[in-house]
Amino acid sequence: MKSMTSAKSALSAAAVLLALGACAPGSSSDGEPAADANAAVQTGVPAGPVELNLIATPESGAAMKDIIPAFQAKHPNVKINYVDTTYDDYNKSLNLALSSDTSPDIVLLNAVGTTVKDQLILNLQPYAKAYGWESAYPAGQLNQWRVAKDGTTLGSGDLYAAPASFSQVGLYYNKATLKKLGIDAAPASLEDLEAALAKAKAGGETPLQLGNKEGHASFPIQLIGQSTDGPAAYAKWVFGEGGSTFDTAGNTKGAQSITDWGTKGYYSKDANGIDLQGAVDKFTKGDGVFFVDGSWDSKKIGDALKGDAGFVPFPGPKATAIGTSVAYGISRKSKNAQAAAAFLDFLRGPEAAKASFAQGFLPSDTSTVTAEPGTISADLIAAWNKVNADDGLIGFNNNATATMNDTLVAETQKLIAGKVDPATFIRAVQSDWAKTHG
Amino acid sequence: MADSLANRVAVRDRTVVAPATPVRARRSRARLVPLLYTAPALLFYAAFVIAPWLHSLWISFWDWNGIGVATWAGLDNYREILADPALRLSLVHAFGLILFYSVIPICFGLVLAALVANVPWKGMPFVRTVIFLPQILPLVAVGSVWKLFFDDDGPFNALLRAVGLSDLTRAWLGDFTWAYPAVGVVGTWVSTGLCFLLLYSGIGKIDPALYEAARLDGAGAIHEFWHVTVPGLRREMSVAATVTVIAALASFDVVYVMTAGGPGESTLVPGVAIYRLTFTAGQVGTACALAVVLSLLTCAVMFALNRLTREKT
Repeated sequence: MKSMTSAKSALSAAAVLLALGACAPGSSSDGEPAADANAAVQTGVPAGPVELNLIATPESGAAMKDIIPAFQAKHPNVKINYVDTTYDDYNKSLNLALSSDTSPDIVLLNAVGTTVKDQLILNLQPYAKAYGWESAYPAGQLNQWRVAKDGTTLGSGDLYAAPASFSQVGLYYNKATLKKLGIDAAPASLEDLEAALAKAKAGGETPLQLGNKEGHASFPIQLIGQSTDGPAAYAKWVFGEGGSTFDTAGNTKGAQSITDWGTKGYYSKDANGIDLQGAVDKFTKGDGVFFVDGSWDSKKIGDALKGDAGFVPFPGPKATAIGTSVAYGISRKSKNAQAAAAFLDFLRGPEAAKASFAQGFLPSDTSTVTAEPGTISADLIAAWNKVNADDGLIGFNNNATATMNDTLVAETQKLIAGKVDPATFIRAVQSDWAKTHG
Repeated sequence: MADSLANRVAVRDRTVVAPATPVRARRSRARLVPLLYTAPALLFYAAFVIAPWLHSLWISFWDWNGIGVATWAGLDNYREILADPALRLSLVHAFGLILFYSVIPICFGLVLAALVANVPWKGMPFVRTVIFLPQILPLVAVGSVWKLFFDDDGPFNALLRAVGLSDLTRAWLGDFTWAYPAVGVVGTWVSTGLCFLLLYSGIGKIDPALYEAARLDGAGAIHEFWHVTVPGLRREMSVAATVTVIAALASFDVVYVMTAGGPGESTLVPGVAIYRLTFTAGQVGTACALAVVLSLLTCAVMFALNRLTREKT
């Protein structure tokens, strides 16, 4: 029957396959020793023909169509096959791909998830030492990919992925509308922002463009939260450090602000029915003075609003941003780990940086790229440098647990619809977190 | 359904063959022959329905993320389902969908079929095709189109504005009150065609003498409908109910595409919950437990439905 759910059929298919296997579901530990952090590894590309398979998502992998040919030109004996899958499907199939016999060699990691715990990806610590990655990147940029011995706590331990480029979530604003309202500069503090929102409302504009169908109200909540609590303290919760709590002054302030802004009509009452791309489209058409979103949409926004598009770090006492790296790991099943690692090292070079920046992603070292003054690209670089100077880059709350994204979507929807109060919202988020990190 | 059909065929065959030679050996061979005919189907059924179901049942007793090592969980996964308000709610939503997938379409189908049967049209084949069309479309495509229809900038709001009801416009799928009925309406739209066709063909099989007799007794059109058409369609209504109730309880595609269970959990159905538990949360054991519960509930409803609509002999 056609309404047989695909989830069910997928489950059944998986079940049939598993029925052929052992009694307890799943593979028992395969007895391979976990890769030693001190293992001896070689740098550079080995001689002889090598074929590598790389998988990514269309957005994060966009730069690969320029990076791969550049790498292959340097190393003609290496051939890299690139395949991308949409974000949702990618995350859902990654672990299965890694555990299959036809595992790809290099994989985009959107989150550590259970890839380390289930021994699916290679410990890159030996390569990090051999290539000197630890001194090449600021510590904060690698910490998201460090995993402790327990396999779930992030922020310390060995390195499991190498960052190629970075995204940052900050505050977009429409320069023309802001000027029309009589405001000369982008807000530098939360009070400035709230004053500007009030002024915009009085001036008949949509103060804040917000689409929450996919839960993006969690961006402003986190940004207010982390700039209030301070990035170092806030990051502990995101990394899953035991004993952390979501119930902080910052998050309470964030959740309360979003609720208040809704009551005051600062964003559309239909926000729960608008997805992120819908919100981007509205913002580029002039609907909304401010818009909280990631740098991945900067090209679209810059192309539409031209010189009117502005971007600053979210205002607060310290310049902070939500951000993560487009990072790649190596499958434990890869037979060409050495060549794969050489490619990961190539990702921090100037050719890769330029290709990534052209797609709206920031390189670790901004001196390798340039932008025309007055453009959104120039704003992105300025914001990025400011955030890094304050060591204010923090990973997405959505990645704190495997289910956190779903939880934040549902709970922010309830919050802005007035179904729950900030305290209930915070309890629900913390209860999800506690299930994994207790 | 497949089972009872196979049984019925088997019974019929036996009554033809058995009386001719009432020898024991013959009879048991006679029993085997129909089994042989159904063997290929049974084999497939066992391999692709029964075995996976049993395996799901087995997995539901484990704490397993789909990749790593599983640990025995006993009945913990079932306890989790009962304890989790969102998962309990998803089951309630699935049963609520029966109204949209079965009850309303069967009512619509009955009325439509009765009306059309009385007035033979030339354009009937065309009308039939149009009404049945939703059944042929892939549900993912159906969901995408309806999602656009209910969008805040979509045709439905444009329609409301055009008739001066702009106060009512909203992002329907992002509204805690309206998202669920909006998703339900799609089920009605999809199921009505099937119910109409089933019932329409059923009306053709009702003995015209019954209508004649009713008319002679002075029954009007409405009396005819209640006392001849509706009782005469019992069997067709039972088939329509069976098919659409299963579709309601197993709904996934339309909901996943239109709302993914949101806003909040207001449109969460077991299909979406199972999918999330498996592919996002990595709780394959809990997902299987929910699937088992859902399939048992579906069987219970089917059993009740069969009892209810069985013809009294």
